[in-house]
Amino acid sequence: MIRLSRRSLLAWLSSGAAGLAFARPARAEVAPHAATPVPSFTGPGVNPYWNGINPFVSYPQKLPLLRMTDRGIQLETPRPYFLTPFTPNAAFYVRYHLDLIPNAVDLATWRLNVEGNVERPLQLGFDELVRNFKAVSVAAVNQCSGNSRSRFQPRVPGAQWGNGGMGNARWTGVRLRELLASAGIKSGTVQLQFQGLDRGPGPEGKGADVVMKSLPLTDPALDDALVAYLMNDEPLPMLNGFPVRLVVPGKFGVYWTKHLTWIRALTSEDTNYWMASAYRIPDTPRANTTPADAASGTLKTVPIGHVRMPVRSFIVVPDGSSKLPPGLPVRVQGIAFSGDGPVVKVEFSEDDGRSWLEATLGADHGPYSFRTWEHTWKPSRSGKHVIAVRATDRAGHVQPDAPVWNPGGYLWNRVERQTLIVGAAS
Amino acid sequence: MTSHRGLAIVLLAAAGALAPASTALSQATKAPGLVTEGVYDAGNLGMSMQPAPQNDDGGAVYAVPAWPTYTPPLADGDGKALVQSFCGICHSTTYITMQPPLPGATWEHLVDKMIGTFGAPIPEPAAKTIIAYLKSHYTPETRKQ
Repeated sequence: MIRLSRRSLLAWLSSGAAGLAFARPARAEVAPHAATPVPSFTGPGVNPYWNGINPFVSYPQKLPLLRMTDRGIQLETPRPYFLTPFTPNAAFYVRYHLDLIPNAVDLATWRLNVEGNVERPLQLGFDELVRNFKAVSVAAVNQCSGNSRSRFQPRVPGAQWGNGGMGNARWTGVRLRELLASAGIKSGTVQLQFQGLDRGPGPEGKGADVVMKSLPLTDPALDDALVAYLMNDEPLPMLNGFPVRLVVPGKFGVYWTKHLTWIRALTSEDTNYWMASAYRIPDTPRANTTPADAASGTLKTVPIGHVRMPVRSFIVVPDGSSKLPPGLPVRVQGIAFSGDGPVVKVEFSEDDGRSWLEATLGADHGPYSFRTWEHTWKPSRSGKHVIAVRATDRAGHVQPDAPVWNPGGYLWNRVERQTLIVGAAS
Repeated sequence: MTSHRGLAIVLLAAAGALAPASTALSQATKAPGLVTEGVYDAGNLGMSMQPAPQNDDGGAVYAVPAWPTYTPPLADGDGKALVQSFCGICHSTTYITMQPPLPGATWEHLVDKMIGTFGAPIPEPAAKTIIAYLKSHYTPETRKQ
């Protein structure tokens, strides 16, 4: 228990680095009982809320999350869980494409298969994977390609995420490259294909039976890739890919195959639905285009694996659900990340993005992790305020303040804002 | 096994049985380690029970209970039952209510994609009714709930 005198409390509140001096205890989550609930849908305008508008539901091994769809299962992480750099496993978002999701896996018969154009096909049991290969850890953000899709205008069909289709964890497992070396990748291998145990009831070969994703063998992102059997030092929840999942730091979550069971060395480019038709982006800056150009059918597209996740930052608290009393400093907190190297700067704006002040960064957990930030803001008056945040990564990318549009609803990374009401004192 | 299940679901769907189907497969050769998949619990809205501690069964099977379903009601109208049975073959109708209001042409394109791209076994007349239903209840002009 930390005890502070009134004077030291005031000094602490007014210091710009309030809260960085000591580690926060785990935060108890606020029960989501709304005085005024959000509507049952948003659109055709933009979803104005931080999360999607879906209700809290309960799933095995999970805290209450926001139900986007229930078969297949897509669950969004509520905003308060992003106060900490590591997202609890039980609060980590869930995104499946198809509905035959494992309920039970037998590790006595489960094998990780490394096959295709290899010298020695591998069929590794869980214990062999853990025992025979070096354990490596990396903190990395997993973000859905369509995170924040509900910000698009005009709206596009697909999973209507707010900002909670993301999470950060400390992943521990085996280096993909070490497994590949063990199998002996033969020359002529072009891509590696990844497939998990989850499936769908559709006819074979049309995309509704299995999901397969492929990356070029030479992609540098694979140098950092892991086959992970621990998530935040615990076994993976079933809905996050038990017993192992692929971790590809810097790339969007669609490549992080859950329940990973097959790794295939391909001698020609993967033409399955999930590579040739789905998850493709315009080959333009920020993958930006217009509805007219998209409808023309002449747009050149590339798999979303061609890019790394663009730099983003978020305001987590205050969340605008309560008025702020006047005269008190406001501790604004959030997270930032980039798939393209570490975040080096986070800036805070108290005037809707007209002027910017550098915020204080939290502990560095590595280039692919969430980085927490905070800023103590002293509102100058009562009434409505719009605060904003933007981040810069090591590659020099600054979050833009312009929207993006493409037909898939991918790569949203505009500057984030929060409207706050400072109340009256008398 | 999968196609057998698919057929069973189509028959169920045609018979108007709307509860999500569940299946239990053991396919060590096709999908190593997979014991059960796609087990959903229909109508688990509201309360759910706390899990009891796991017993030591000496085995290597790691299991979770059925996935609960939380499917909001669809708008009442002609074609609702067809939407529930045919769209429900592969996914819950939450995939419809989750969307923002979409233009009629977009709904038409999405139904065509389910049939043409994904192979949904929806006969032409049913597809027409489904598209008409979606246009009647889920466009910017028509959406109420």
